[in-house]
Amino acid sequence: MIALLLFVCTTRVKAQDIDLLLKGGHVIDTKNSIDRKMDIAIKSGKIFSVAADIPASSAKKVVDVSGLIVAPGLINMHTHVYAGSNPGFTDGTSSQLPDAFAPRAGITTVVDAGTSGWRTFPDFKAKIIDNSMTRVLAFLSIAASGYSVDKAQENIAEMDVQKTAETISKYPDILVGVRIGRYDGTEWTPFDRASEAAKLVNKPLFVECHLPMYSLEDQLNRMRSGDIITHAFENVSERMTVVDEKGKVRPFVLAAQKRGVLFDIGHGGGGFWFNQAVPSFKQGLWPNSFGTDEHRTSMNSGMKTMLNVMSKYLNMGMSMPEVIARGSWNAAKSIKREDLGNLSEGSVADIAVLSVAKGKFGFVDSGNNKMEGDKKLEAELTVRAGRIIWDLNGLAANPYK
Amino acid sequence: MRTKTEGNSEFIQHQFLPNALRAAAVLVLILIVSMANAQEIDILLKGGHVIDPKNNINSKMDVAIVGDKIFRVAKDIPANTSKKTVDVSGLYVTPGIIDMHAHVFHGADVNSISANSPGGLQADAFSFRAGVTTVVDAGSSGWRNFPLFKSQVIDRSQTRILAFLNVVGRGMVTRYDQQDVTDMNPEMNAYMIKRLHPNILVGIKSAHYWGDFTSVDKAVESGKLANVPVIVDFGEHSPPNSIESLFMEHFRPGDIFTHTFSEHAISEATGGRESIVDVNTRKVKPFVFAAQKRGIIFDVGHGAGAFNFNQAIPALKQGFMPNTISTDLYNLSMNAAMKDMTNVMSKFLAMGMSLQDVILRSSWNPAQVIKRPELGHLSVGSEADIAVFNLKKGNFGYLDVRRTKISGTEKLEAELTLRAGRVVWDLNGISAPEWQMPAATN
Repeated sequence: MIALLLFVCTTRVKAQDIDLLLKGGHVIDTKNSIDRKMDIAIKSGKIFSVAADIPASSAKKVVDVSGLIVAPGLINMHTHVYAGSNPGFTDGTSSQLPDAFAPRAGITTVVDAGTSGWRTFPDFKAKIIDNSMTRVLAFLSIAASGYSVDKAQENIAEMDVQKTAETISKYPDILVGVRIGRYDGTEWTPFDRASEAAKLVNKPLFVECHLPMYSLEDQLNRMRSGDIITHAFENVSERMTVVDEKGKVRPFVLAAQKRGVLFDIGHGGGGFWFNQAVPSFKQGLWPNSFGTDEHRTSMNSGMKTMLNVMSKYLNMGMSMPEVIARGSWNAAKSIKREDLGNLSEGSVADIAVLSVAKGKFGFVDSGNNKMEGDKKLEAELTVRAGRIIWDLNGLAANPYK
Repeated sequence: MRTKTEGNSEFIQHQFLPNALRAAAVLVLILIVSMANAQEIDILLKGGHVIDPKNNINSKMDVAIVGDKIFRVAKDIPANTSKKTVDVSGLYVTPGIIDMHAHVFHGADVNSISANSPGGLQADAFSFRAGVTTVVDAGSSGWRNFPLFKSQVIDRSQTRILAFLNVVGRGMVTRYDQQDVTDMNPEMNAYMIKRLHPNILVGIKSAHYWGDFTSVDKAVESGKLANVPVIVDFGEHSPPNSIESLFMEHFRPGDIFTHTFSEHAISEATGGRESIVDVNTRKVKPFVFAAQKRGIIFDVGHGAGAFNFNQAIPALKQGFMPNTISTDLYNLSMNAAMKDMTNVMSKFLAMGMSLQDVILRSSWNPAQVIKRPELGHLSVGSEADIAVFNLKKGNFGYLDVRRTKISGTEKLEAELTLRAGRVVWDLNGISAPEWQMPAATN
């Protein structure tokens, strides 16, 4: 009798060892080639198992996510989140707080696009990175201060390859590469130094344009396989467009893509135009990641949220698995963080549960031009390291009595 | 934006024209001028259902904007009288929403709760996408750091930011600072409001005080000197103070009780606050009705810990409605049950409040409470701060701070927001033209 009781107790403990069970959703996990109905069990902040029909009785908490898409927590590849009190981006009011936009868009990881440099990174880390629920990774600018408004950032003497590489090596869990952006001169020293620093630490170079004196072709030619160019589909005077006057993607752009150069959207306030993105999509120049270029002036423009940007591609004809891949696993691979962007057992439980609203929607580009569509992604539930950090409609809540 | 008309007349002025062409040019000019007259409206919001509680409008109406002002509100304003027409049929057109309780003194001091702190959020990141055009900061700054708040945040924000000044000169830095009665200076508070910033500062905040009525009384004294209301977070007194005494003895009519639907277990260690609904009988305490009748203002101030269905639902059922709906937006409330202003407004719809009442309590009521009668309505001549809402139908869930849920069949979504006549949010591009490839490619 006692033995039986002990047995029952033991199985009961075992039976409840799942902390959170997301039941009945359609899982899209690119890395593991999953695109079907599956349950996901979470234990101690990690993915415990992904399988069909995990019994509800085995979990302390079960959330019914049937009819919804369950994806790896999204990765926003291009943000400016070194928010603070100064004018401009670096420790500035033009940057945004990660937690203010990420959880509500299914994002669990944001990558800051060089808003800090080797000199300002420790302050960025102390103020923002260490205090955010959202995982904040970062490209380090080759400019010492990052992305400040003053001309000091263009001081070549301060663009220190060694200090940049040393800082990245000191924070390998946070810093994912080197960014070059905002330089008005003609010499290639800043670009080459950024590239050299990236090579030293074996991480990608992130090219954020704002480099008006460099031609697009020269930039692409200097990029290695795995380097990332953002604002891919912009149509502004400071950089040649990827699509020519006849509506054709320029051959050297396609050649660069073939060579392994990655194209990030970097939507922003001025970086995404349908007259670039649609022909590019049709001719095979697809973005590798959906960076939003999140900042103060992009957030209320055509960009709005990363899910809004992803929905533009859904409505342009990209399939859901392709869209999810670019919002998660492809982005993770490009920053060499293969621990992220997937739902493998043992991975950190960063999860986005998304709904697809059907209806009549409009999407706006940086030229304030509209594309109509009939589907739109919305974040129902966001889980970060096993914890629910966003629950739009209270899926995980108890009813009021 | 330069219009075509301006461009053409400039062109004509700056060219030498032979006499033979001059007559033709004059003719063209006349045509242009008459066209400009015909199109005197800059933006026409056409076919929407207007809810403007101040002007008792709750019907299908068009709204015309010229420059930054409301030009006309009437049925069937012809589209050809406007340079730009936006079809808002099937949508609700309301005054730009006023969020009367938010914390937006954003800054880099990680050791501060709300003053120059990451705990205070950027107003523009939450306002326009929720139909909000005016936020009122609830005492994040005091008279000592309001000038910093103004230069660092208010002057750089697109959202109109007004503010209650904290009764404590240092503002909302730490809980400990909030206890410093030696830094509660009614004269300095009144100077800052009356002499320096009467256009921005709308009242005084008392909050997080652990002792007796000193903080409230200093706030009221400041309020009397500056002729402004006080707003009180009464949540942390140990032992709890009588809210009846607050309403009937310490407050003046027009003073504001926020976190109206808060319910906490009261402990000796952290103190607490009496609730307005009796926790045993679930009846609204009789003096609460009397207080509202006396002119005491009850504000929602949802926040991360101050909105419980077991207060709000019985209260609404018993006929007690909050005067103003507000978010108490800050870092801990933004991703929890509160989310944003439209979510809080929709929660009241789900509890049975009518749309008309929800809009009233989010526009014209708060405008009157903060004595800014030029805001919160769509009267001709007033600044064109406008929200256009889609009332979505479906199954929605709404949470309170204990994470219990009610369901609702409606949810407000901000389609279009105008601030001073400018489109600052356009969810589905209803004011944007269709994209097209450049002509050369066709």
